[in-house]
Amino acid sequence: MSTHEKLIGHVMKEEPIGCRNKVTVVGVGMVGMASAISVLLKDLCDELALVDVMEEKLKGEAMDLQHGALFLKTHKIVADKDYSVTANSKVVVVTAGARQQEGESRLNLVQRNVNIFKFIIPNIVKYSPNCILLVVSNPVDILTYVAWKLSGFPRHRVIGSGTNLDSARFRHLMGEKFHLHPSSCHGWIIGEHGDSSVAVWSGVNIAGVSLQSINPKMGADDDSEHWKEMHKKVVDGAYEVIKLKGYTSWAIGMSVADLVESILKNLHKVHPVSTLVQGMHGVKDEVFLSIPCVLGNSGLTDVVHMTLKPDEEKQLVKSAETLWGVQKELTL
Amino acid sequence: MHEARSEELEEGGGIHSRSDGTSSPSPGPDNIYQPSLQISAIMSSVLQKLISPVAGTSAEPPRNKVTVVGVGQVGMACAVSILLRDLCDELALVDVMEDRLKGEMMDLQHGSLFLKTSKIVADKDYAVTANSRLVVVTAGVRQQEGESRLNLVQRNVNVFKSIIPQIIKYSPNCTLIVVSNPVDVLTYVTWKLSGLPKHRVIGSGTNLDSARFRYLMAERLGIHSSSFNGWVLGEHGDTSVPVWSGANVAGVNLQKLNPDIGTDGDKEQWKATHKAVVDSAYEVIKLKGYTNWAIGLSVADLTESIIKNMSRVHPVSTMVKDMYGIGEEVFLSLPCVLNGSGVGSVVNMTLTPDEVAQLKKSADTLWGIQKDLKDL
Repeated sequence: MSTHEKLIGHVMKEEPIGCRNKVTVVGVGMVGMASAISVLLKDLCDELALVDVMEEKLKGEAMDLQHGALFLKTHKIVADKDYSVTANSKVVVVTAGARQQEGESRLNLVQRNVNIFKFIIPNIVKYSPNCILLVVSNPVDILTYVAWKLSGFPRHRVIGSGTNLDSARFRHLMGEKFHLHPSSCHGWIIGEHGDSSVAVWSGVNIAGVSLQSINPKMGADDDSEHWKEMHKKVVDGAYEVIKLKGYTSWAIGMSVADLVESILKNLHKVHPVSTLVQGMHGVKDEVFLSIPCVLGNSGLTDVVHMTLKPDEEKQLVKSAETLWGVQKELTL
Repeated sequence: MHEARSEELEEGGGIHSRSDGTSSPSPGPDNIYQPSLQISAIMSSVLQKLISPVAGTSAEPPRNKVTVVGVGQVGMACAVSILLRDLCDELALVDVMEDRLKGEMMDLQHGSLFLKTSKIVADKDYAVTANSRLVVVTAGVRQQEGESRLNLVQRNVNVFKSIIPQIIKYSPNCTLIVVSNPVDVLTYVTWKLSGLPKHRVIGSGTNLDSARFRYLMAERLGIHSSSFNGWVLGEHGDTSVPVWSGANVAGVNLQKLNPDIGTDGDKEQWKATHKAVVDSAYEVIKLKGYTNWAIGLSVADLTESIIKNMSRVHPVSTMVKDMYGIGEEVFLSLPCVLNGSGVGSVVNMTLTPDEVAQLKKSADTLWGIQKDLKDL
């Protein structure tokens, strides 16, 4: 009898149940791994799978995480370049693809990343046909559309991380200015995740007190408080960090874990994430933009109808047109 | 982050918004949004309509501040693990690479909505680390190809000479956790350079080796790592000592079930598991270039015991002179009780004569390196 057999006796006759809350992260670059460690440290899943094409890096990252198993509550961490390792995932986080170089816009990355998605998405669908896709790769709004088309999933199961991070950055800046924790500063950035995101000034509030009611010029060019500058800092935020450290990882990783938490724990929490907005706010094209959405374990089940000013809606329509202009040229 | 108060705000009496407007010479990391003092004044008048102060206006000093020295992969993994475990109320980062440092700080700050650490600061000036309870040292140079360990150590002594006194200057009551390699020697170096009592200088030591050991053993047995109890002690590295006599699950001693366990003659080759622990760092480095997640998690684990005054036992590197017949001032990993003051006590583990001999041998090797170090 082996030591194992002397020590432990197996008493269950049935097959083990396996995973119930599996998360897959596609892409083990800086964003993928930051997402993975954030998900692990928040105890969100009972199994984590990693996939990538770079086999050695993939194996190294998986081993490094496994060596921390003592400190975690995720018993199974697996990795392979073969997508069978991702089977039965509840949520698949897609971070794969090229990333912005210094000064490069997100839209520039499109075609390169579409080609990568043509390989990735069908593989994910094959092994987790009921999963919820969370797209992070940039330009996220276009790639969420691409993932939706390539997967054939209903729209409620394809979500783009969108302006969840932009809004977090905005609330951080608000928090710094008002000496409050960001969670007590409310502000929604919607629309395109990127240069033309829309800050909804009417919604900015602390404890329900609308700051625009105190400062009616908020966000305008002649606003003496220069709120528009704060929004610009949000837009520029990623570029700044990229310039300083080469890429961004921690903030997006944490924001991904925030979304995964709402999904896996069926929280019905409202997040600004990228979803199909055709027919809303005057948008005519089949595009994905961020609006406040309710996230739960079925995915993105509801959207919140924001009352937007005419020029805010105009900005959304304009973003939609820009995105559609790029999307219609894509070969999917 | 230094809070400069503008004159207008003092008179206004409202909540003082931070006006970190001007850049150097005064030290202090840039805030992302730097309004001019005028804008801050206007902001504060809006604040006065919105918010009425009740307590005094001076900021409370941090109670559980942690500093991480070095923002490389290991330093940042430690920082993120500590943040995501809600262990500190302020986190400071220091490094010499200013752009990287600022970028890392900003990236963490952008995630502040998702965290419960309200202040994240960074600067190359150590003033930013003031009043830390715990300082994690991950800085240092890596071994060049073909470089002797002694040479590497001497280079790191020189790096530490610029780091350690600065840390102590601003946080004279802190506890230090040394992570940089070779960790046992560098913990000794840190202890010497800091002048701190030995209970407040800890090396991350074999905390990670033990975690790896428990993971690999538990995997073989189909259980969670925390349910497998086993200790790897001594030198963090090739000559670490797996204490087979203590390995157990639910108190059932594995060596009693298999007296050959850990020996070369063991049919089940359990010794290979310890070898895998020793090799694992090299393997991960070969595959991804460095290791960071596991060491980051293990440092957060130690941080938790210290910050929360838990008195948990961890295998960490401590001064072992006069234990197990060791006559020199060397640091090796033994089971230490970690609490708010650092190493509260050491558990006298019953080791076999062979295990004691291995510890002694490590001690001799380490002393051989340490005695030739200059300028300590």
